[in-house]
Amino acid sequence: MSKNKTTLNKQWISLEDFENSSKFNEQKKKEFFDGVTDDFELSTLAPLSRRKFLALVSASAALAATACTDYKDKGEIIPYNKKPEDITIGKANYYASTFNDGSGILVKTREGRPIKIDGNPEHPINRGKVPNYVQAAILDLYDPERIKKPLQVKEGEKRETQWEEVDKFIVDNLKNAVNQAKEIAFVSHPIKSPTTFKLIQDFQQKYPTTKLYIYDLIDDQNRKIAWKKCYGEDFKYPIKWNEPDIIITLEADILGSDNNAIENIRLFSQRRDINNPKYFNKLYAIEGNFTLTGANSDIRIRINPAHTLEFVLAIINELFKKNKVSDNWFAIKDKVKNYNLDEVIKKYDLSAAKIDELINDIMNNNNKCFLYGGNALTVDTHIAINILNEIIGGIKFYNFDDINISFTEYSSHEELKALVKKMQMNEVAVVIHFDTNPVFHFMPELNYGKSLENVPLKISMTDLANETSQLCDYVLPINHSLESWNDFQIRSSLISLQQPVISPLYDNRQKELILLNWISLQTSDKIFDLYHKYLQLRWENEVYRQINSKTDFKDFWYTALHDGFIEFATLKTEKPSIRLDSINEIKTIVETKEEFTLLLCDNITIKDGRYSNNGWLQELPDPISKITWDNYASISPNSAKKLGLKNNDMIEIQTKSGNLSIPVLIQPGLAEMLVCVKLGYGRTFAGTIGSNNGFNAIKLMSLEGQSKFLYQNISINKTGEVYKLATTQEHHALDDEFVKDKHLERGIIKEGTVQQYIEEPEFLHHGAHHSFSGPDGKPLSITKDFEYEEVKWGMAIDLNKCVGCSLCITACNVENNVPVVGRDQVIRGREMQWIRVDRYYTGTPDEPIASLQPMLCQHCDNAPCENVCPVVATTHSPDGLNQMIYNRCVGTRYCANNCPYKVRRFNFYDYRDFFANGFYYKDSLKLAHNPEVTVRSRGVMEKCTFCIQRIMDARQEAKIQGQNFDGRNVKTACQEACPAEAIVFGNLNDPESEISKIRKHNLGYHILELLNVRPNVTYIAKLRNINTEDA
Amino acid sequence: MNKKILDYTLKVRFPITIFVIIATFAITYYVSRPERDGIGYEPDQPIKFSHRLHAGVMGIDCKYCHTEVTKSRHAGIPSVSTCINCHSVARRDREEIVKLFYYYETNTPIPWKRIHKVPDYTYFNHSVHVNSGIECVSCHGHVERMDVVSQIESFTMGSCLDCHREPHLKVPQFTENAKKGPVNCFACHR
Repeated sequence: MSKNKTTLNKQWISLEDFENSSKFNEQKKKEFFDGVTDDFELSTLAPLSRRKFLALVSASAALAATACTDYKDKGEIIPYNKKPEDITIGKANYYASTFNDGSGILVKTREGRPIKIDGNPEHPINRGKVPNYVQAAILDLYDPERIKKPLQVKEGEKRETQWEEVDKFIVDNLKNAVNQAKEIAFVSHPIKSPTTFKLIQDFQQKYPTTKLYIYDLIDDQNRKIAWKKCYGEDFKYPIKWNEPDIIITLEADILGSDNNAIENIRLFSQRRDINNPKYFNKLYAIEGNFTLTGANSDIRIRINPAHTLEFVLAIINELFKKNKVSDNWFAIKDKVKNYNLDEVIKKYDLSAAKIDELINDIMNNNNKCFLYGGNALTVDTHIAINILNEIIGGIKFYNFDDINISFTEYSSHEELKALVKKMQMNEVAVVIHFDTNPVFHFMPELNYGKSLENVPLKISMTDLANETSQLCDYVLPINHSLESWNDFQIRSSLISLQQPVISPLYDNRQKELILLNWISLQTSDKIFDLYHKYLQLRWENEVYRQINSKTDFKDFWYTALHDGFIEFATLKTEKPSIRLDSINEIKTIVETKEEFTLLLCDNITIKDGRYSNNGWLQELPDPISKITWDNYASISPNSAKKLGLKNNDMIEIQTKSGNLSIPVLIQPGLAEMLVCVKLGYGRTFAGTIGSNNGFNAIKLMSLEGQSKFLYQNISINKTGEVYKLATTQEHHALDDEFVKDKHLERGIIKEGTVQQYIEEPEFLHHGAHHSFSGPDGKPLSITKDFEYEEVKWGMAIDLNKCVGCSLCITACNVENNVPVVGRDQVIRGREMQWIRVDRYYTGTPDEPIASLQPMLCQHCDNAPCENVCPVVATTHSPDGLNQMIYNRCVGTRYCANNCPYKVRRFNFYDYRDFFANGFYYKDSLKLAHNPEVTVRSRGVMEKCTFCIQRIMDARQEAKIQGQNFDGRNVKTACQEACPAEAIVFGNLNDPESEISKIRKHNLGYHILELLNVRPNVTYIAKLRNINTEDA
Repeated sequence: MNKKILDYTLKVRFPITIFVIIATFAITYYVSRPERDGIGYEPDQPIKFSHRLHAGVMGIDCKYCHTEVTKSRHAGIPSVSTCINCHSVARRDREEIVKLFYYYETNTPIPWKRIHKVPDYTYFNHSVHVNSGIECVSCHGHVERMDVVSQIESFTMGSCLDCHREPHLKVPQFTENAKKGPVNCFACHR
């Protein structure tokens, strides 16, 4: 009952830390990881020895003395020949558009080149936020390895060719295929664009033997099938995540790798408002894998996903037993009576206390709970989940006014098998890969790659070479999202437009244009806006009519382009009713043996592997394991002990369809007898950056079985080899060893419960110093404090809202030209990201509670880094910023050594030049730089600047307008990207600003306050919505 | 004997050598000052455009061509089409205007030689300065009196700071109470 019990005492950062290994403690005291400063091969650094260098310096000084009258050439200024009207040199332009996944985006361009992608703030689904791969897509646009001309492969040799030639040859072949009644296989991902869909229909009309094959590596087929069985209709409803009081997820990563995570996080975090603690929702994550959702849950129940079905049925039975199920459900009572919750708890060693709380909450919150199952669960489990969701009244949290639109259905396994068979029987004349990579994505037993050889004409439309294009006869370069015209409709309530913000960089065409041209061949002078016209025509004939606008079409079109989307009236669909007999579909559960279960899961960065060649995404640490560049087999500490495994040991996983060698990561909190592997890694032809990172878990997938992501009774063997994973986990452990047993106020993470906060709002600072302030309320100091007269910057991060999605990291990378350092450098602890998300564990390795905390430069008033710099390269500004001046820095690294937060980053190399043989120094990639931020070179320190370029821009704008600068309207890049709106930034001297209000909040605290460095980043302590008794 | 040579070397030769080296550096340092700062730099331009004629004799305002100076970081070198506004009619037979038309018609931009430059790591903003009432003359000198433009003022950090600290000394229309420019690092470096 005591309140202190709920406060989390000591945080540990990894298992080694938990066990207090002496090596780790040693490590923590050092600023840099062992080896960080090692191995500078002198020969690789500079071709000059010190002596030679000095000789050269003196020689050049002598030369300068004799020939000093010559002026240095300062280069040229090359103005436009005819300046485009809407461009002001030095000012950014913004355009609304849509990314190829349907996200509404706002693209920032400078002098005609896109440099940043953010969400379109008006877009009803995104609300200004986009996933990691969209933020980082600038790098894909300028990828130097993009295919630049159509390629023809003849006798194993690639040859650049002309579009006219390609088009003519392919159209002839398509016609021949139709004449011979042979199939034209069209392999695509789901179509999200109504105009593309119409185009494909037109294409089918012209070439009637065309057959569509639609697939995704990570799909929600099982949920769809189960829904159809339960409700007799397609699953198409978005979820109102902000409405249920209690959210129960089953093996579903709704806040992490879910395709709709951005919207989910926004809605979920609306219910985590500290000013309204009674309105907090409660999240139960019932899962085997340790996902972001689990890390953010109030209560995480650890269960092997193979046992989820039994668990759900046992809960239904328990509700029957407690007479909490209405009579309508009487028909299924018999079906579940064999599943006893207590037995299930005992059998699988689940946490009885947590499940008790779950049952209590379900019983006491009728019609306020919502249950959601993940993609990996079997159809049967999803049926059981649907039934339980109906019983507890969760069905009403589906949005029946706005439905998800899908123009195409996934092809079934049978259809894919039939395709391969037809290929082998030589019945397929042409295969068109519509920006897809089935050779990588299809399961090994389909044998797609081998069967492809029998097809006479194989076409791949792609921007980067991939496993499939490697086997094709024609590789046609396609446009990036930022070079294309299109429209997208993912919800019935809106349709969004995609417009090019840069003309195609190379001789590439958008994939829709290529198809359109094959329907009726056009001469090359007409081709460039063919699809644009086609799109416009469809809008005029269909969308414009439907919307019944009073303006003429031209105005309507330009308004839609300007806004990026148009909205439709909402639909009113009837809530479907469940078929009670669907429970009969559930087969009896086979008793599982004491064997390992394999769970294949999605990731938040490179998704199904298509964004592999993007260094920013590869280097973004996994939010839980903090591993970059690779995937791994995560396994629970106990299971690892049983098998005698340590971190980085290679194991061989064997399923019915294949085997895979992969390194092990011991993940606290993982279910016992479970192995989790992320999909999308292990590409072999994905360019310089993307190839050979991680291990291809698709090899383990099989068409048989109830779920393509879940395999039971697999075998695991230790191979004896070791593979070092690159992790950012232990490098920056905050040095909390000497505070661990001291008072709470020294804590780095401070947490409480909602109940505690409601009862006593001041609980966090109860009996402790809020800050080191004297009797007059001012901070104690022996010297006179600097007075910040005009503006003083500050930031607050609300840990209740932050889910650790890592979008702040990607946005910061793009905004501040942060380089990619590569796997080997991460292993040495030299990663360059200016903001990181620290993850701490509390509790035992079996049932840890995770706490996530973004960490960036705290811009301390008494910054310890500033007074140790021997060359005054880091100083304090009159608006409270800790300034870092690169051209003054000589790289002593004293500042990093003296920083208690370990947020300073040193350029051990010129990473653009060093990484992958100068990959990021290639010409096209220079266009991706933000011109307002210096590109740092070797030997200088760098760190977060609170986006000084944005501050200066706003300040200068105010000055030009003759206004007093009040610091409003400045948003940092991380703040702008945060889907939970957890970051607040502004002027502390403005009493009206949001930041000065939140800084004084009862839950606000500063990290390592006891050092009296007076940080300007306030953290809002996380409140867990748990019953105090159970904690 | 050896001791004597060593003594002589240390006492006489070494200080003299050091002195000569330092003196050479010091003299060349101060003598070459304007060149190092670029003062007096007067390169040949691809077209012999005369600011004296356009801005001085004809009195065309600087902002007529350098349109972006009030809006953006850059003053903006006019595009060729700006010149053509007038020269589509005016003086079409002159040698330099024929050159201009060559650039215009072949759609090639003019590679003007750069005269005033601050380093890459410095983020100078024209619009803030011009909108605070600082005339172009203050930094660029009397361009309207030059046939060939050359650099008049120094563009070092020192000269920026001189003005930011005591603007009234440099800009005549400012009084001693005029608001001073920022002198913190982030004002120019980021």
